[in-house]
Amino acid sequence: MRSILKVLNRSAFGWAGRLVALGVVALASGCAAVKMPESVGSAANQQKLRELAPVSQGVTFGEFTASTAALAADKGLSVRGSNTIEPRDGSFARQLRDQLVAEFKAAGLLSGSASLAITGVVTDNQLEAPIGTGKGRLAARIQVRRAGTIVFDKEIVASATWDSPFVGATAIPAAFNQYGALYPQLAGKLIDDPEFRAALRR
Amino acid sequence: MNCSMMLRRWLLCLVLIGSGLLGGCASVYLDSGVREVPPHEMRRPANPAQVQLLFEFQTRGVANAGATKHLSPQVLDQVKSSGLFTQVSDVYAPAMGVLSLSINNVPMSDDAFSKGFLTGLTLGLAGSQVGDGYVCTATYTPPGGGATTTKRARHAIYTTVGATSGPSNGVKMASIQEAVTTMVRQVVSQTLSELSSDPKFGQ
Repeated sequence: MRSILKVLNRSAFGWAGRLVALGVVALASGCAAVKMPESVGSAANQQKLRELAPVSQGVTFGEFTASTAALAADKGLSVRGSNTIEPRDGSFARQLRDQLVAEFKAAGLLSGSASLAITGVVTDNQLEAPIGTGKGRLAARIQVRRAGTIVFDKEIVASATWDSPFVGATAIPAAFNQYGALYPQLAGKLIDDPEFRAALRR
Repeated sequence: MNCSMMLRRWLLCLVLIGSGLLGGCASVYLDSGVREVPPHEMRRPANPAQVQLLFEFQTRGVANAGATKHLSPQVLDQVKSSGLFTQVSDVYAPAMGVLSLSINNVPMSDDAFSKGFLTGLTLGLAGSQVGDGYVCTATYTPPGGGATTTKRARHAIYTTVGATSGPSNGVKMASIQEAVTTMVRQVVSQTLSELSSDPKFGQ
């Protein structure tokens, strides 16, 4: 079952393909779990980071954790029963860290010796896919320390809404895809933040 | 629509999907109007540059990380073998240009789902066809910045369910995986070819 959904999630199948494949899953058991894929830097965020590259010395990443409020959702989120999306490495907070690392690494801004360290606490993590409108929300308090002193401290929020049809075979992969896109979206909002950009400048 | 009617439709859809698969009735076709442009037909730039490749697969405009990860190696290899750049990397380094490539999967028909119900109601006798559109966009920024060049190409994959002949403009694929990888290869080659033909590219 997992292998079917893994192929489904990783492949570029159009909606017709997803309909057929998820239909098999639904017929077989009515539930499934998928892991989020490995994080990759997004094209839009790379363009933004390139503007920073000449003026930033690079960053390191510290610990990312889930707040008490987001702890229950840190290992998995379910929609429509037992259809669960799980973080790649056991924690959605680490998934967010991995996304940011992927973005900064691809932009050549990840440096093991940098004096700038970024940490984060996931404060909200939600996914809903009822019939009608799907909703996803991911929020994290991000801190940047320069040589131990906090130079940036702000909650960054990513959210999305989308059409969530009656048929789960269409609605469930759409929800998982929309949820996965919250991670590069949050990274993009962080990179766009003027105070964050100011903190990263030399 | 009341709850019992919705439930009945849901059950009908499951029956359709299950019976279609058990009967081997789902077929995948690739649009025959888009051919692969081989590297030797592309116009080599006078001054080829190093480039950072940023590839993203999207579903209805939303980044699809799973598909991106799955297809990235294929696209990276294809851009490398195109001969349009001296070096292609997914990590930025100074003196590199940037080639941003995206493929957006969009539905070709908004009422495609209702076609699925028609098939279910006739138990596969009528058959139906749905299409997935793919829009490939390439944006190139030369090293050091400057004016960007953007090119687009389009492709389509058709899926038929039930007793129906394939589309007249489709080539039958052995599997959906083959259809996807071939579609990506063809549409990326078209986009790169368009890019290479632009006088601003590689000046």
